Amino acid sequence: MGRVVGIDLGTTYSLVAYMDAQAGAPKTIPGPYGSALCPSVVSVDAKGKIIVGEDARDRLLTEPERTIYSVKRLMGRGVADIQDELKIFPFRIDAKSDNVIRVNLGDKSFTPPEISAYILRELKWWAEAYFKEPVDRAVITVPAYFNDAQRQATKDAGRLAGLEVLRLVNEPTAAALAYGLHKEKRGQVAVYDFGGGTFDISILKLISTTEGDIYQVLATNGDTHLGGDDIDNALMDLARREIREKFSVELDPRGEDVQTLRKSLIRAKHELSTAEKTLIEYPLGPKGMYVREITRAEFEELIRPIVARTMIPAKLALADAKLSAKQIDEAVLVGGSTRIPLVRKTVGEFFERTPHSELDPDEVVALGAAVQADILESGVKTMLLLDVTPLSLGIETMGGVIAKIIPRNSTIPASAQEMFTTGVDNQTAIDVHILQGERELAKDCRSLARFQLKTPPGPAGLARIEVKFLIDANGILQVAAKDLRTDLQHVVEVQPSYGLNDTEIERMLEESIDFAEQDFAERQVIEARTEADSILAATDKALKNAGADVVTTAERAAIDKSAAELRTATTGSDYKAMREKIDALNAATEHLAEVLMNGALSSALKGKSLDEF
Amino acid sequence: MTIEPAALEGQFHMLSWKLHPDNFVRASEFERNLSLQRSSELNDAYRTLREPLGRVEYLLEFLKVRKEGETKQQAPPELLEEVFELNESLDELREARTSGGDVALLRGRLDAAAGNFQAKLTEVDAELAALGTQWDAALDSGADEAKRTALLNRMSEVLNRRSYIRNLVDGVQKEIAAA
Repeated sequence: MGRVVGIDLGTTYSLVAYMDAQAGAPKTIPGPYGSALCPSVVSVDAKGKIIVGEDARDRLLTEPERTIYSVKRLMGRGVADIQDELKIFPFRIDAKSDNVIRVNLGDKSFTPPEISAYILRELKWWAEAYFKEPVDRAVITVPAYFNDAQRQATKDAGRLAGLEVLRLVNEPTAAALAYGLHKEKRGQVAVYDFGGGTFDISILKLISTTEGDIYQVLATNGDTHLGGDDIDNALMDLARREIREKFSVELDPRGEDVQTLRKSLIRAKHELSTAEKTLIEYPLGPKGMYVREITRAEFEELIRPIVARTMIPAKLALADAKLSAKQIDEAVLVGGSTRIPLVRKTVGEFFERTPHSELDPDEVVALGAAVQADILESGVKTMLLLDVTPLSLGIETMGGVIAKIIPRNSTIPASAQEMFTTGVDNQTAIDVHILQGERELAKDCRSLARFQLKTPPGPAGLARIEVKFLIDANGILQVAAKDLRTDLQHVVEVQPSYGLNDTEIERMLEESIDFAEQDFAERQVIEARTEADSILAATDKALKNAGADVVTTAERAAIDKSAAELRTATTGSDYKAMREKIDALNAATEHLAEVLMNGALSSALKGKSLDEF
Repeated sequence: MTIEPAALEGQFHMLSWKLHPDNFVRASEFERNLSLQRSSELNDAYRTLREPLGRVEYLLEFLKVRKEGETKQQAPPELLEEVFELNESLDELREARTSGGDVALLRGRLDAAAGNFQAKLTEVDAELAALGTQWDAALDSGADEAKRTALLNRMSEVLNRRSYIRNLVDGVQKEIAAA
């Protein structure tokens, strides 16, 4: 079995972290460029090769039609849901999309879980390169306000990336866990998580018991389409308007050149978190240059309505927790957008206290995921998370009205039983429609799934089928039905309204899982071979230059033998054998290396002294 | 029916440590399933028991005085006149909204009415709590079945009145919000 990690699959950035047993603290894992932040951008090159992260982000400017960002906005959604988004985001939606969106990248099309899986796989590789061991299990975080379809899509992405998803953890809850380790905290805590594309607020109660600490979520609320992206779009609207007025140039918000402008707007946004003013510059070719100074005050005026929108879920969550803002002992800031001074000020004023931001707001969710991964994996229980379902679960009844069967903010796992029967004589099927949401009519709520209960013909009302709805610890719905007359379990084929069905997942898995296993071995072989080549070359060079005074015949023979064995190993594909032989050669050349090192030092000193004379 | 909330919460936490699926991530599928079932039952039970209303409803369902999920609505006779006036005001408000009448005046009247019914709701809740205390006492003193049944029927009746008033308040609030 491989290692286990915690992953924050974010709208803008994704991170992977693990529990460092020696330090007793979670740590993020850096990627090839040294940063732990992996841009959540995926690109497909002309040969069909998948590029993820920093390199993919560069391709947003050069190959925009083959590159996608903010794919998290599409997870678990249908084409009809994203019409507003399509006006702003350059998503290229395949016309053939049905209940699952398909995005075109170059000449291929992908579902959002597949694209997210590429990001997860990249992070898995980062971790494998770091541990030099396979990674096969993960805790993945999701916005607390994600519905069932969005959670299922995230879990599917994990499976497609070759990861067993031990648990989906809500982002604010993960952040609270990371903070809990960081500092002794008791009482009622509000976690304000304002990220790149989503906003969450969770109210938690931290309780010490004899067994350990309990993190009990009292209420959660949010907006899965409110984040830093919206701030970028507000800046974009301003810049486009001014460019239209001053230069008579109409920029297509979904066009390719707009990506360069977006980049400079995001830079300006970041700078205004510390600077009082900054410049936005954008070249318009022969028409000249759009140069504009923006002050922090002006920026704050622009984004005030967006920040104000976060206060609505905050108030609703407090009301559900039956608490007032004054009763909150600590407020915690999470997510990159909480670096904005206006956001900090707004949160501080609302809760009447300075919010905590000691932990890096970009890293804290991944760190918490690593803590939870460690708890689940090690079996050492010092902390327990009791999370809730963010939305009420209901079934459609007569007249399209919803009957709520599991209220929002119920601690999960949560369940409800419902009895179903036939309404007319000789009815053989009962339709069940499951929804999520707070509105009263089915048409205003989120359709999760439909299924039919089959029953033999008979008089109306004779059938007695009990359906158990269960929301598991990941916040994902399971359905089981039992015929009470026969006491037999009923087979329920649930057709998700938005999302991949089991057959589709199985097919994608068959293609990807084998690959994932193979991928790890292949990459290890390549890495070991590269390392072997460089040590063999260094050894050859050293032996050539070393006289009998430096290396004895016996020593030389031992080194030759180890080198020959390593050469043989590199012709095979057993990376473990290669590693062993590399270690053996290193041991055999240890003395030689030391002598040469001293020699190099003394000749360098000699050279220096000669020059001086 | 009268419980110590802190004791209930403590018991809930203690059982959560034992039953939560987090403890069974590496266990067999059978155990994982069992933990899922048991912990969901625990959470459902806690959700029901922590609210006074939830306790009354559960007791009545458990003793088969009411069917599960049954919500009968019964207009309390002493409120009939007020309800009548309220419905008139609601009609006027709807009309004022479409044909342009004095919405502000009607809103004020409805606000006052909603406040009245809200107060009534508090009264009914107190009545339920008192019945709960009597039920506890009846059990402790080994009261006979006739007395217990009478108490249960009384609870059921108060519950019906409560859901009637609750609906009324919700309806009025919705109309006010829409105006």
